[in-house]
Amino acid sequence: MVHLFVFCCIVLPFLAGAVVRILRRNDLRRILVPITVAAMAAAAIGLGVAGPFRLEVRHLAGIPADAVLTLLETALPLCILLIGWRAGSRLVMGLTALQLAGIAHLHRTGPEIAPPAAIAADGLSLLMTIIVCVVGGLITIYAMGYMDVHESRHRPPVSRKPRFFATVLCFLGAMNGLVLFDDLRWVFLFWEATTLCSYLLIAHDDTPEARSNALCALWMNVLGGLAFVSAMLFLRQSLGTLSAEEVLRRVCAMDVRTTATLLPFAFLCLAAFTKSAQVPFESWLCGAMVAPTPVSALLHSATMVKAGTYLLLRMAPAFAGTTMSTIVALFGAFTFVGACLLAVGQQDAKRLLAYSTIANLGLIIACVGINTTASATAATVIIVYHSVSKGLLFACVGSIEQRIGSRDIEDMRGLRAVMPRTATIAAIGILTMLLPPFGMLTGKWLAIEAIARATQAMPPILGFVALGSALTVLFWTRWAGAFIRSPELRERPSPGPQRPTVLFALKALCGLALVFSLLAPVVLERFIVPAVTEAYARYGQVAALPAIPGTGLAWIYGLSAILAAAAWMARKAARNVPDRAHCPPYACGAAVESGKEAGFRGPMDAFVPTRLANCYLRRHFDEAWLTRAMDTISTAFLVVLVGGLL
Amino acid sequence: MTLPIIGTLACLVLAAFTGGLLGGIDRRLTARLQSRQGPPILQPFLDVAKLLGKTPSVTNAWIVPCAILTLASTAVALAILLRGGDLLLILFVLAAGAVFQTAGALCVPSPYSHLGAHRELLLMLVHEPILILVFTGIAMCTGSFSVADVFREQAPLLPRMPLCFLALGYALTIRLRKSPFDFAASPHAHQELVRGLLTEYAGPYLALLEIAHWLETVLLLGVCALLWHTSLLGMAMLALGSFLAEILLDNATARLTWQWMVRRMSPLAVMGLALVNLLWLYVA
Amino acid sequence: MDIFRNLLHHGRMKSPWFLHFDCGSCNGCDIETLACLTPRYDVERFGAVNIGNPKHADVLLVTGTVNPRNRLVLRQIFDQMPSPKAVVAVGACSLSGGVFRGAYNVVGGVHEVIPVDVSVPGCPPRPEAIIDGLLEAMAAMAAKIGRGPAPGPTLMPWDPDPGREEPASARPPDSRAAPDGNGKAPEERGTAPAPAPDASPPVAEDSGRDPDARPPDGHDQAGPGSAGTAAG
Repeated sequence: MVHLFVFCCIVLPFLAGAVVRILRRNDLRRILVPITVAAMAAAAIGLGVAGPFRLEVRHLAGIPADAVLTLLETALPLCILLIGWRAGSRLVMGLTALQLAGIAHLHRTGPEIAPPAAIAADGLSLLMTIIVCVVGGLITIYAMGYMDVHESRHRPPVSRKPRFFATVLCFLGAMNGLVLFDDLRWVFLFWEATTLCSYLLIAHDDTPEARSNALCALWMNVLGGLAFVSAMLFLRQSLGTLSAEEVLRRVCAMDVRTTATLLPFAFLCLAAFTKSAQVPFESWLCGAMVAPTPVSALLHSATMVKAGTYLLLRMAPAFAGTTMSTIVALFGAFTFVGACLLAVGQQDAKRLLAYSTIANLGLIIACVGINTTASATAATVIIVYHSVSKGLLFACVGSIEQRIGSRDIEDMRGLRAVMPRTATIAAIGILTMLLPPFGMLTGKWLAIEAIARATQAMPPILGFVALGSALTVLFWTRWAGAFIRSPELRERPSPGPQRPTVLFALKALCGLALVFSLLAPVVLERFIVPAVTEAYARYGQVAALPAIPGTGLAWIYGLSAILAAAAWMARKAARNVPDRAHCPPYACGAAVESGKEAGFRGPMDAFVPTRLANCYLRRHFDEAWLTRAMDTISTAFLVVLVGGLL
Repeated sequence: MTLPIIGTLACLVLAAFTGGLLGGIDRRLTARLQSRQGPPILQPFLDVAKLLGKTPSVTNAWIVPCAILTLASTAVALAILLRGGDLLLILFVLAAGAVFQTAGALCVPSPYSHLGAHRELLLMLVHEPILILVFTGIAMCTGSFSVADVFREQAPLLPRMPLCFLALGYALTIRLRKSPFDFAASPHAHQELVRGLLTEYAGPYLALLEIAHWLETVLLLGVCALLWHTSLLGMAMLALGSFLAEILLDNATARLTWQWMVRRMSPLAVMGLALVNLLWLYVA
Repeated sequence: MDIFRNLLHHGRMKSPWFLHFDCGSCNGCDIETLACLTPRYDVERFGAVNIGNPKHADVLLVTGTVNPRNRLVLRQIFDQMPSPKAVVAVGACSLSGGVFRGAYNVVGGVHEVIPVDVSVPGCPPRPEAIIDGLLEAMAAMAAKIGRGPAPGPTLMPWDPDPGREEPASARPPDSRAAPDGNGKAPEERGTAPAPAPDASPPVAEDSGRDPDARPPDGHDQAGPGSAGTAAG
């Protein structure tokens, strides 16, 4: 059974993607894609229910797995090299050439033991698989409706939808492979596969801006891939194995961790930082916002960027208790507060979401750097719930942009009258990022509890996280208020036509965000806590701290009940407000209400509409200056991280 | 199960009365400091009774759920404190209440309400990190964020966190809407922003927010009192002392701008106070 | 339920939040009104607060004379105040137009635009008179919602004995509109306005009809206000 599930998760999407790409038929795609993602989701949930497992992969359709690996891990960088050559980017070509050299060297040193490739899934992997398949699946269904409208507006000469969906399906398969495999060579293969998919999807619209942003993403991710290859070379040389489990076991068994031992992990950190768009590499993620929104939702918030944090989380016990770990934590916290500062000055909704994603990834990395059971629990919770909420928010913004033609928050004023369902779902999405008892808040709570017990460099990390947390409230509330702003007592919504797939995906994601938050105690108990405690215990770290604080998580149920009751009461009270209670907003006695617009009686008795805009504080949070400052400081961090070891 | 719930509800009602009484004492003391006589001490209750009896006047129906949810959040936060729950949770639930209140103010296209809401967001930006740091200081002294664990400590916390207490006073000034940081919703600033954040809340909904403000006052003074939990007299003195100090500060200072607050008496300077204290606790 | 209603009413009476609106006066009445907030007169001991927002106010304290530009503003501010509410017209200008009565750009007294419950004559009236007017407005508000008798017109020393049958219209305008309140005894009272239709019949509290919802020009004039209307 497990074999079947794993096949569905990893191999099936590649096959389906190939079919979709080769047979470029619309009706076939409309059936095949939903069936594939449904199968993947069912398989992932099946795996999750089955629990942690171990699988050895010796043959792939008759061919020895090692040969497949060698073939693919040479072919993939060659593909990227070709892309770099076609685009004339020497940076990409140079980095990929170095990668190929590294891989060749890896081959040459020879697989002296050549253990079979293993799929070792613990709670963390299973949870990531579920997120990738379920959230990714829903976003793919959303993309079906979205891309129809997208293509009808952009009108490419030949429909690019087959290519799009093929790439998305391959990406989902690659992500599953990344989180399930134990052998680092396979992980690297899937890592680079996601890089390639990211490039293809960012460049989807084929405009000059899209192409240049895609190249920027490509070279930064390939740089990370190069760091990954270097790490693999070092690990092979010093430890003689490339199985993640083995590596961790051997490193944690050492009493003293020398520079040579820690250096590969520093390189893995570098790889993770580029994949997760930490400063100073955040520009690729912001540039990737030119892609169609399903791409942003899927790759650049819910799944691909989480791959970096997943890798770090996996490798974290190896460098627990070292100075390197502290620097990683400080770096993550600094990214968190810096990205939040950048997000405050954003008016473009997608860029705001991008910066918020970077910030949350920084918070996850800070938790990883603190390297205790409590912080690893917090990091996992944030990974999971952030994926759901952010995917939902990106999907809403995409839908809104297609309807009103703008991503500007100021243009989303009073959106509830124009798009009642989407605006409500978006407001709920924002609230799930912000309020108890929802999952993100649980994660933030666990994070602060973990940081408070950290043994190294706690005050500055806590200071950064506290400030960043307050900044998030600022920009989320500001946006949420814009949706419901209206001078009318009750909006008379005139919902326009909405694609059924888009609506279904939005509602499903919203329901998932709400219900999944309620299930947080169950999720923690079943998946996260066992995996985390085992990871830290198995690898010899003293699990001194309980994974969950003593107060437990029962409050989630209590708060949810109270919130539901209060919300129901509040809704009833709002409905009971009689129409005659309506009065215009106060405008010094000169208010005039003309339909949907509020205004006042101005000079010559003319109607002057009230123009209200959020304050973005650009004089204080100037994007260019902040980005420069942050890039400088973070580069210094990275130099200290790697150079300090050398 | 029901007995604790009834007990908590009764305590909440008592806390609301205490908060109102404190508000009345506040107004009376302020008046005496200004050589006036001032209203009777029960005046806040009369005000709320009057507001409850007004006919509803609503611009956007979303204000109604926001007012109700603000009161619910503040009540829940106080209930968590009374049950000895987690300090961070109290902070987040309180922040949720403030978010609802601000969202309600933002949902009406009124310039005063909008201005007040943004100023309120900036105030939240300043006082939330301070509260997180102060609560972490308490956690460092007692070993956990739970209020119940504070009461298990043998020694009072204040001698170990004096700077944190000063930072807490700063956050208290902001939340109690006292000068010099009352530029979001002060009744005295009406030449500038009418009633700021609270402009469009009217009648019964303003009454709900007033009651929420009472509960919040009691909650924050309770947190102040936690720092000398060993004796009842100590708790009372800390709570009332902080309250009186706030009234004095309110009457001695003029209202400042948010730029002054963010830049000079900025979160960094005050976070500096809290952070220095944390460092000291951390090193010691 | 009755206890609850009585509590609400008690609060209503003891918490007069007033909104001070200047229609366009010389600021004399405004200075006297703001003097009420000072320690010497201290209107806050009655629970009164000078609130700047009509949506929070119970009493509208109007000074100055109404002109065609601000009649709409005055009307809207009055409409934005939630019920129950009361209006106090302070000073001669808001009663009848004062020294400006008859000018081409002056509409006249406040009662031309909104229903006035209490008039405080004077030019300017003393702060004690204004405070007294405020408290009379509470009684008038109670009467409007059916919880008290309508405050009858309070007589000035020069007024004839009401026992004698003398129709209000027969009285010359000047004797009613006594603008000078300066030399009077400190316990002078605010007078109820001569135009009887202003004091609308007490309405039961829950009738649903807003006792203050009246068209501005719906009542007939009698007494000092009429001269201003005819000219304006």
